[in-house]
Amino acid sequence: MTEVEHLPVPARRGGARSPWGERSVAAVGALLALFLALPVVALVGRAVLDGSLAVSVTSRVVLDALVLSVVTTAVSLALTVAFGLPLAFVLARRSFPGKGWLEAVIDLPIVLPPSVAGLALLIVFGRRGVLAGPLDVLGIAIPFTTVAVVLAQTFVSAPFFIRSARTGIASVDRDLEDAARADGASERQLFRSITVPLASSALAAGLVMTWARSLGEFGATIMFAGNVEGRTRTLPLVVYSEFQEGNLDASIAAAAILVLAAFGVLVAVRVFRWSRVFDARGIG
Amino acid sequence: MPRTGPATLAVAWLATLLACVCACAPAGGPSTASSAPAGAANLTIYGAASLKSAIDQAKTAWETGHPGSKLTIATDSSAALETQIEQGAPADVFLSADTTNPKKLVDKGLAAAPVTSFAGNQLTVIVPSANPAGIETPADLARPGIKVIAAGDAVPITKYAGQLVANLARQSGYPADFVAAYSANIASKEDNVKAVVAKIELGEGDAGIVYVTDAKASTKVATIDVPAGANVPAAYAGVVVKASPNPAAAEAFLDWFAGPDGRAILASFGFLPPP
Repeated sequence: MTEVEHLPVPARRGGARSPWGERSVAAVGALLALFLALPVVALVGRAVLDGSLAVSVTSRVVLDALVLSVVTTAVSLALTVAFGLPLAFVLARRSFPGKGWLEAVIDLPIVLPPSVAGLALLIVFGRRGVLAGPLDVLGIAIPFTTVAVVLAQTFVSAPFFIRSARTGIASVDRDLEDAARADGASERQLFRSITVPLASSALAAGLVMTWARSLGEFGATIMFAGNVEGRTRTLPLVVYSEFQEGNLDASIAAAAILVLAAFGVLVAVRVFRWSRVFDARGIG
Repeated sequence: MPRTGPATLAVAWLATLLACVCACAPAGGPSTASSAPAGAANLTIYGAASLKSAIDQAKTAWETGHPGSKLTIATDSSAALETQIEQGAPADVFLSADTTNPKKLVDKGLAAAPVTSFAGNQLTVIVPSANPAGIETPADLARPGIKVIAAGDAVPITKYAGQLVANLARQSGYPADFVAAYSANIASKEDNVKAVVAKIELGEGDAGIVYVTDAKASTKVATIDVPAGANVPAAYAGVVVKASPNPAAAEAFLDWFAGPDGRAILASFGFLPPP
């Protein structure tokens, strides 16, 4: 984790840099930084300054969507941890034939367009989908329900947690586990008291990235879960729907909430990264 | 190495899964009326985008008249809603801006006949209030450089607009290539008619063909009158979805909406009786 910091800094080549060259490099870079920052700042600025954030945050449409987003992302996060942690453990600790392929498949949702994810979910869970027969027998209808929202979020976001958790668990020193095992700790105790705490910052960073991806999920949700207020219309869908109906203020308010949440996540990830470096030094 | 039994683990995870599914079920799920008192059913109404305001008011009126009932409303283009119902969306009633989409559901065995007509509508041309492109007559829609906002090919308004443009082309004073020139001016194909109105309200487009009711509902657009002889009557119709867990309540709602009470609400938003 800390090797990177000890790499030797390349020596400066005297005379190769002119002040003009450095300034133009900085100016070109600043253009892109401005391009990235301006739309987001303008959006939040407008939401705050014209009061639409304050007004719309208390509107029923935005509140309903906020509650739905919080509930569905909490459930999809719980599912991701319940199933993702064992999967990450296996991927970190075992080698088996086809592991590389499995890892590639698990990572696929990260690079797939969300609309493709939504369509694929519909092809499996839809009325005429692959699982239509058994689901029908059980009387379970998934598409265009809140359950579909959770599945869409889990599908697109779980790979972020699995990746992070796999790396975190793999970085735990096996000697520590062996020592605890020698002292008579059970595998369950080992996992709870050694592996998870030592991987905790990677797990936490994975959790917040996964949650953020769920919260921002749009394409798979609108394809697979539709867009019904109070049932499947999460915050990103409010941004779209309100804009489609010409209610720009409500759209901007919902968008501002999402920007603030996303920014909070990035800050949280930085804090976790910093604490991980700190942990590593403390142990080392 | 010794491990916790895989069976124990699997049971624990499955329990978590079940708990999660149950936790999110009350937030939505299919509109079963299992927990509602008898006669007070929860219904999900899928309606054409142009009906949004009328359905919202109908929801209030219906819920007042049927204590304990709750209507969930979803509006989008009739074509999109028809596709969603085909794919298993839990709708009880489908209110379409045409007769084609409800008939499709009946033909596929997904909705019960008959298809009930409940309203009519007419078309008009809208421009932003400031009318930056200076559009005076529908003929200007074909002027080079005009940005026309239209809807997607399967959206009902597109079919009606196509008929209107064809009718206009036959009027005196319209150029021979009116249809082609209009098509060439289409800058965007929106998901539904409300999105067309929104783009004109925002000034992102110069003109669009929408329903008379949409034009009436907006304070940010001006209308350009269409010659009466060229206008196209739009027929709105609804069906009860066969998969509805409450077919009787769904039918009662559709009958009510197509009856005098529903007609009065529809008329207050400028809808006409069915053609």
